[in-house]
Amino acid sequence: MSGRVLVVDDEVEMQRALRAGLGYHDFDVHAVGSGEEAVREAASWRPDVILLDLGLPGMDGFATLKALRPTTRAGVIVVSVMPGEKDKVRALDAGADDYLVKPFGTEELVARIRAVLRRQADVPSGEPVVRCGDLEIDLARRTVSVKQRVVRLTPTEYELLRYLALHAGKPVTHTTLLRQVWGDYAVGDKYNTRYVVAQIRKKLGDDPANPQYIINEPGVGYRLDA
Amino acid sequence: MLKRPIPYAVAIGGSIAITAVIGLITSRAAISGLSAFYLLLVLWLGARWGRGPALAGSLAAFLLYDYFFVPPVGTFSVRGPAELLELAVLLAVALVTSQLAASLRRAHAIAEAVASDSRALYELAIAALRTPQVTAALAMLSGRAAQLACVGRFALVAMDFGQVTPLEGAPLSADEERQAVWCYENGRPVGIAIADGAIKLVRTHPESETTAFLPLASGVAVIGIHAATPDPAELRMLAALVGLADLLLDRRRASLEAERARGFEASDRLKAAILSSLSHELKSPIASLRAGLTALSSPQAGLQTEQRELTVDMDRQAARLDRMVGDMLALSRLEAGVELETEPHSYADLVGASLRQLRAELKTRDVQVHIGPDLPPVEVDELQVGRVITNLLENAIEWTPPAGVVELGAAARADQLEAWVENEGPPIAPADLERVFDTFWTRRAQGSGLGLAICKRVVEAHGGSIRVENRRRGPRFIFTLPMARVAAQK
Repeated sequence: MSGRVLVVDDEVEMQRALRAGLGYHDFDVHAVGSGEEAVREAASWRPDVILLDLGLPGMDGFATLKALRPTTRAGVIVVSVMPGEKDKVRALDAGADDYLVKPFGTEELVARIRAVLRRQADVPSGEPVVRCGDLEIDLARRTVSVKQRVVRLTPTEYELLRYLALHAGKPVTHTTLLRQVWGDYAVGDKYNTRYVVAQIRKKLGDDPANPQYIINEPGVGYRLDA
Repeated sequence: MLKRPIPYAVAIGGSIAITAVIGLITSRAAISGLSAFYLLLVLWLGARWGRGPALAGSLAAFLLYDYFFVPPVGTFSVRGPAELLELAVLLAVALVTSQLAASLRRAHAIAEAVASDSRALYELAIAALRTPQVTAALAMLSGRAAQLACVGRFALVAMDFGQVTPLEGAPLSADEERQAVWCYENGRPVGIAIADGAIKLVRTHPESETTAFLPLASGVAVIGIHAATPDPAELRMLAALVGLADLLLDRRRASLEAERARGFEASDRLKAAILSSLSHELKSPIASLRAGLTALSSPQAGLQTEQRELTVDMDRQAARLDRMVGDMLALSRLEAGVELETEPHSYADLVGASLRQLRAELKTRDVQVHIGPDLPPVEVDELQVGRVITNLLENAIEWTPPAGVVELGAAARADQLEAWVENEGPPIAPADLERVFDTFWTRRAQGSGLGLAICKRVVEAHGGSIRVENRRRGPRFIFTLPMARVAAQK
């Protein structure tokens, strides 16, 4: 058994397909059709990952996400048909771990679920070094190196990279980065994050047209590839 | 001259009255030079009624003075040069004052007329601008213009959005309407000209009415002028009225435009709502299809090879359907008037995101990126331009053999960025170089014919252009994007 997945989707066909598809990959799957049921099921069954459709009847996805957060530590992957980028950002800022655009294939969904599970496993281990390919970020000693070569970053650059490293693999929104690195007053000026990311990439020797470490999430923010 | 008897009666009566007063005074005391009293009367007469009564007054005064006071008293005989001089002075004063008074009166009359004209215009302008309905204000104005003696008819024609709307005055004949359109489109008046705020007539036939056409910012004034030599004051008034009409027609057009914009906005909102609901309705079943088919095609589902291949094929078709629905919705959104959210972006970042999205498809191809490190940022909508790059890359992937090369690059050209994507596909027929961007035009069996049409619309929405050229290795798609206005921060 590789994990418990709660599917929240009002379409029975979707529930059945995901139950089968995830079942073939050894996940234990429960499926519910409404936000209210999801909150109850999350509290009683304690899933590891919740697959939450934003377009639910009644209590909508955002309200469900808000209701879920205090009661469960499960990773939430938000799913939606053609979500606007604003919806993605809103869901991530409201505590979702990732988002996936419908329609998707089972393989892609499984990869996302595994990434969330991996991050959950990493957190309690308290590993002070985050690795991303050749890139090593030592959170305890505040050092960054590429291929064993130490890279000197400014405090702002280090803070941004550190925040991405703490959430490696998860898309982090511009708003979150601005708030975490610069403070509340900077929220809204996305050019700051873009500029600092460009500087970090330059120092890490990362090609912006083919980045290996910091990945653009268009319209949303950045993600440290892990 | 004697059509107006009262001034003359006053002149003679006044002279007699003054004579009586002088007589009364001289009977008490011997005072000389009292004839000056007559001058007062003559001055007043000249100022009040002009030369005739003044002359009559001075003549009467002279005769009375001569008869009653100049020795020998009781006769009209003039004894010496002093008396002659007195008469001459009285007459001269009468002439000069009446002349002065007459010119003063003329000047006053003109000032009065001008003041009354401006008052009328002012009142009209205030009333017209206060009237909420521009048409009512225009009717008021046309009515005033038609009152001018030289104006036979006064009609206004509005030209809105290529449409001719006769507004006020007598309806135009088809011929006149054509002439009005010509006059508006060429911005040239016919039969009339405005110079220094006054209207000048051109080609006036003295015997017949001239119909003149004057182009305004949002319409045409059609004026029938029947006087051969109209009063210049009237022409000034007419020019002022035409100026006011110009303003009012502009106001009319502005309010029409605002109304239209509101209409468009409402229909845009409706379209966006329909599209959003449509996308949900179309994509949800595809989502279930793909979830089910990909579940079945996983090895753990236990299907036989043939069955699994069939399932994978079906999923590929479902994915294609999904892309086509997505393209169609994207195109409809663009046509409904998408609002761009532009920000400064590094073009290399946008390319990076698109390449990553197509990682699986590009795996076997050699992707060569030619973007200099110092390329200035572009001012674009990240998602829309990302779609352009992705669509061009998808097109390139379609035409490039699995081991082939896909090249892309960008360079600064004056105030624009010129970006390109090149593939190793066969050259495009010269006749098709323009058509490839048409909606539903495609050379590919699997293509929706929408990808390049979307590219064109997005690029054009950014104020850029897109074209395709046949290069030595294959077709190259070249498009331009606006540079960011902000300088790079330090």
